[in-house]
Amino acid sequence: MVVGDFAQGTQVAVIGGGPGGYVAAIRAAQLGLEVILVEKEFLGGVCLNWGCIPSKALIHVAGLKAQIERAGNLGLITGGVSVDLQAMLDWKNRIVEKLRKGVASLLSGHGVQVVQGTARLTGESSFTVEGPDGVHRFEFEHAILAVGSSAAQLPGIPCDGRLVVDSKAALDLAPLPERLLVVGAGAVGLELGMVYARLGSRVTLVDSADRLLPMLDRDVARVMERALKDEGIEVILASRIRGLERGESSARVLLASPDGETSVEVDRILVSIGRWPNTNGIGLEKAGVKVDKRGFVTVGDRMETSVRRIYAVGDMVAGPMLAHKASYQGKVAAEVIAGQPAAFEGVEVPSVIFSDPEIATVGLNEQEAAERGIHVKVGVFPFKALGRALVLGEEGQGFTKVVSDAGSGIVLGVHIIGPHASDIIAEGCLAVSSGSHVDDLALTMHAHPTLPESIEEAAEQVEKRAIHIFNV
Amino acid sequence: MRHVFRLPDVGEGIAQAEIIEYLVKPGDKVKADQPVIRIETDKAVVELPSPVAGTVVEIPFKPGDTANVGDPLLIIETEAEAPAMAQGPPPRKIEPPRPVPPQSEAAQAARILATPHTRRLARELGVDIATVKGSGDHGRITDDDVRGVAAQATAPPPKAPTAAAVQAPATAGFDFEKYGPTRRVPLKGVRKRIAEVMVRSVSTIPHVSHFDEADVTDLMAVVDREKALAESRGIKLTVLSFLAKAAAAALIAYPSLNSSLDEETGELVYKDYIHIGIATDTEAGLMVPVIRDVDRKSILQIASELQGLSARARDRSIDLEELRGGTFTLTNVGAVGGKFATPIILHPQVAILCSLRAEPRPVVRGGEVVIRTMMPLTLSFDHRVLDGAEAGRFVNYIKDLLEDPLRMLVDVA
Repeated sequence: MVVGDFAQGTQVAVIGGGPGGYVAAIRAAQLGLEVILVEKEFLGGVCLNWGCIPSKALIHVAGLKAQIERAGNLGLITGGVSVDLQAMLDWKNRIVEKLRKGVASLLSGHGVQVVQGTARLTGESSFTVEGPDGVHRFEFEHAILAVGSSAAQLPGIPCDGRLVVDSKAALDLAPLPERLLVVGAGAVGLELGMVYARLGSRVTLVDSADRLLPMLDRDVARVMERALKDEGIEVILASRIRGLERGESSARVLLASPDGETSVEVDRILVSIGRWPNTNGIGLEKAGVKVDKRGFVTVGDRMETSVRRIYAVGDMVAGPMLAHKASYQGKVAAEVIAGQPAAFEGVEVPSVIFSDPEIATVGLNEQEAAERGIHVKVGVFPFKALGRALVLGEEGQGFTKVVSDAGSGIVLGVHIIGPHASDIIAEGCLAVSSGSHVDDLALTMHAHPTLPESIEEAAEQVEKRAIHIFNV
Repeated sequence: MRHVFRLPDVGEGIAQAEIIEYLVKPGDKVKADQPVIRIETDKAVVELPSPVAGTVVEIPFKPGDTANVGDPLLIIETEAEAPAMAQGPPPRKIEPPRPVPPQSEAAQAARILATPHTRRLARELGVDIATVKGSGDHGRITDDDVRGVAAQATAPPPKAPTAAAVQAPATAGFDFEKYGPTRRVPLKGVRKRIAEVMVRSVSTIPHVSHFDEADVTDLMAVVDREKALAESRGIKLTVLSFLAKAAAAALIAYPSLNSSLDEETGELVYKDYIHIGIATDTEAGLMVPVIRDVDRKSILQIASELQGLSARARDRSIDLEELRGGTFTLTNVGAVGGKFATPIILHPQVAILCSLRAEPRPVVRGGEVVIRTMMPLTLSFDHRVLDGAEAGRFVNYIKDLLEDPLRMLVDVA
């Protein structure tokens, strides 16, 4: 086959089929544009294949197991719960496959041409795709880059997929390690650490920060510390990995802290210390697309890069590396190309950790407000005072906290740790992005008995008028 | 080399045009003088030719957009090395993103209280949200605040105030949605122009309407008889052509009806030419193409011109100049029916004559009731310039000519 001498043209080329890219492609197609989407691996990207979705599947199973083990308190007599790891993984894989097919059919249904292969920009309006049947050339009028990010690795200790794994390899639990060291106590570390712990591994979390979840509300972090302790997960803070002594099937990890050096013996190491944008090796320099010092593509609020008609979205641009941010930006880029007045501005990006209890936050927390010199009024409502939380069989750990501007009463942030925090936060997202007043939350009638009542009560508690607690 | 083809000044006083259609798309090769875009100005649709030869690389507007004189309409690469494009026409034109105002530093520093919808509205209207002073509590910005800033930004430069311009919109604050769902369609192009002209006329001219009817039985017979002759020359002969000829004669006899009042100097301007506008119903709205020097043309010539003008008005190919310079207007609503109408004068003219459907009616002739074909006529005139008696005599003059077509031969030049 003769390759390379014929360039296919398109109005919009989307490079990357993750939650940024495929959403951008669908939106562009909806707006009547001709779209090609290039994906080097699987549609849905990290999120669908090796991130949000499969990890949530495993978290759900691990949580269910924990609930069943505690079910005696609720009057359910159960035997011990045993785990068929392979069946669990098969179930997870079926979900992933189903969603992946869903994305594929959405794309084809919208007339998006999906090209399998690895794209590299070759100029400011062209790229090549190295696919299973050779190299093909493409030309575009507009491009949306959405190539995502990769897990960062420890210097000198590369992931080998067996002893040292990243979040992707960690999803293939089998064989379950007896002892797991999780390096990095962020969302991925907490989520997968808990899954392993609940399935039977002895888990140690190590983090270089001197407190858990330093970017989150301090009270949220405290509740999580306690939850980890209850879970039997050991947390080692203010420590860095110094070295690794590999044994037969285990390893000794050397940790350095201000107090000195220690070591832990482990059977597997999960490295979850963050992610780096995939901005190398995709030909950005050929097109003239500029990146910042940390390797993120620099974009304006309409997702435009330094090169006219090339846009970038998602993990490869600055900001939280979250699927919903990527999707939002993908829609913005597609709409901008179609001439609509879209922009990534005035939006708050919520973040969620699917630990148990879940953590969900949006907007400013008290510490951030203080750093910016904003005087705030705060209302807190604990789940232990909420009927719905208790009947779920939870012990009612955690709380909902509403942070408001002391002068205007405008809601600046909502911070939740507790059951289904990831669902409850939606109301907080609306409140913060709409600039709602605390009264808007307090005076909105919430159905009873539900978990979102905690928002109403926390908003009331700002003015010391929550009903179901003593407003001290 | 890139040539930026800008909206030229297509006629006096026209500052804006609506883009109707691009006749080319990016990637197309164009020759110099090849029509590339159709625009609609106040009254006409005009095709603009490309000033250069080359390849179209960019189309900044889309149909329905409004462009100002000087705005780039088309970007043409004049060398052979135009960027390679995908073969086959793209399914939809991509316009460059509309400029979204940069968010000022103030926007980033202070918290802007506005819902996502309001922010989007601001982007849509090209308003930097940070410059909007919110009218709500704690400076919350409402949709109306944004619309207010947008309206100020796009308001035309103040002109000499006319009665219409200084009035606040009568519908301000009217809640149409209160009683049921509504749809909003912007008033633009021909429709907008009609609205402006009519308001100016009614708010300036004290209108009086004079009703009469003419016995056109004999005239109809003439029209029937001469139809074949006209048709042999490809002309459709109508009563309207006779009416125009009769009106021209009457305007010579009563020159004040062919005048205009110069409101600035307080002088009457008598025009020594008779250009009669013919109100023409088109899909876009009413247009008034003008037949020049009606007094110096034969009825067949008038009929022939009328045929061409109304066809061009209907297919929007009419030249702006053909819509200008009228001294008097005829409007014929005979096709629609009706017995009475009170037409509005096309300011700054001073009179308009409306003819309605000619129908057989019982009338009294020499003490007997007979059936004659009667055509109702209404003359609306400017009472500042003339009075009812003169208007009545003017209509009688026309009536006499219509009722006795032979007199046209004797009396009309």
